[in-house]
Amino acid sequence: MNPFVFHTPTRVYFGETSAASCGDFIHDLGGSRVLLVSDAYLEKSGMLNPIIESITTATGNPPLLFTDVPSDSDIAVVNRASAMARANKCDALVAVGGGSVIDTAKVVNICLTFGGELMEYQGLNIIDRPLLPLIAVPTTAGTGAEVSFVAMVKDHEEGKKLMFGSPYLAPNMAVLDPLLIVSLPAKLTAATGIDAVTHGIECFVASGTNSVFTDALCLEALRLLFEFLPQATADGNNLEARGATLAASCMAGVAFTNSGVGITHALAHALGAKYGTHHGMTNGVLLTHGMNFNLQATAGQYARIARFLYFSSSGDDLEQAQILVDKVEGLLKELKLPRTLRELGIPELTADNLKELVDMAGSDPAIMFNPKEASEDDLLQILKGAY
Amino acid sequence: MAVFADTDELHQIMADLWTAIKSDDQMAAPLLSSRLIVTFHYREPDGRLTVDCSDGKEMVITAGECDRKPVVEMFMKSSVAHEFWLGKVNVPMALIQGKIVAKGPVNKALALLPAIKPAYGLYPSIIEKNGLKVSTT
Repeated sequence: MNPFVFHTPTRVYFGETSAASCGDFIHDLGGSRVLLVSDAYLEKSGMLNPIIESITTATGNPPLLFTDVPSDSDIAVVNRASAMARANKCDALVAVGGGSVIDTAKVVNICLTFGGELMEYQGLNIIDRPLLPLIAVPTTAGTGAEVSFVAMVKDHEEGKKLMFGSPYLAPNMAVLDPLLIVSLPAKLTAATGIDAVTHGIECFVASGTNSVFTDALCLEALRLLFEFLPQATADGNNLEARGATLAASCMAGVAFTNSGVGITHALAHALGAKYGTHHGMTNGVLLTHGMNFNLQATAGQYARIARFLYFSSSGDDLEQAQILVDKVEGLLKELKLPRTLRELGIPELTADNLKELVDMAGSDPAIMFNPKEASEDDLLQILKGAY
Repeated sequence: MAVFADTDELHQIMADLWTAIKSDDQMAAPLLSSRLIVTFHYREPDGRLTVDCSDGKEMVITAGECDRKPVVEMFMKSSVAHEFWLGKVNVPMALIQGKIVAKGPVNKALALLPAIKPAYGLYPSIIEKNGLKVSTT
């Protein structure tokens, strides 16, 4: 067995109405003046109200609301939220929302804890001591941001994507409340869910970094997702299915933050940065292309997934691996997700566009974890094939 | 136990290695195209090496203090650097384990890893040439 490190600093609390206990949780973590980071939709919908009440009751102070986080957060948003929090002497954060909201809160937490110049903390493992208490309450089931060590925000003015990575960035607690995701539309349920499927599959075959711990999380997450993601997409009120996808997404998040992802994510990051495509949907389009690229190198691992999910009893690894790819194809079809980059709204890819995308994907940290080395031509062929 | 006897030994080996990389067009070209300034900070023993490709024409290698502001900084034990140049470090694992700390736009530096791979083959001979008592196993 290869040497490995497995680390999960986030306490996970799962249950219907659990979000209404956020006040007690943040109080237990020592917070008294809480910055509540969320988005405008969640504020308007009233979904934040039980959380606000709970924080007010437990801490004696109403939380300071920052609900201006867009779906594609930016450093300017981080700076605004940080300034507000600093002016109000906030000492803890609660993030309620999708990946963009949670990542924004993580970066705000860096500003609030350390002050100074944020760029000093850009990079991997720079942050070497605990931040202020942060609770993450995901309202989508897919990103795994509620447990991950990484936060990404854009600098739209400079045209850059900023990455911050450290185990200290992981929230102290993830509160998984299935009631908070029942209103998520079917299309977003499917798109965020396929992101979690991609985490599970790519992490399971990550090069030299996966472990028996992450393997176990990936397998169970994939079992839950294959069974319950179609149900949650078809009927948003199915709380059992909602809960299963939420738990599975979190499990896959714990796995990938310990072991990495791969080529599908590297390409999806590049396409998202250039064309603003939805991360989960882009992963959905690229996933089987990435799996086919890795197929020969990872047949044994794909076969393990296929056997665990009872997709086939064949003893032939390659045959089993191909069955897994076919099952993913079937899942994408059932979820009615876009199947090509063209369907995602990406315009005809010129040679210059392709070169730029290949360069971006080739320098994305995710590509390092892919089990098979990918040349520029390999990346180009995948993009062309997915178009 | 430290791999290098002292800072001078560390600086000499790393500077010689990067001078060899600079002399190899195949390795130097992508580094110069990147126009990056990368500073490597070593510990046990302490040391510092800056590789400045900012003018896109000539790579400037400085061992020790350097007044150029780096775009990317990498921090690691000298023993990790030694194992890296022997081709024995699983970089993703080292990043996950925190054995390598990377400051700045890390993706730009990681993108250059494939370009410098041929230097793995040069490293043992540089150690040997310098007559330094450094283990290559």
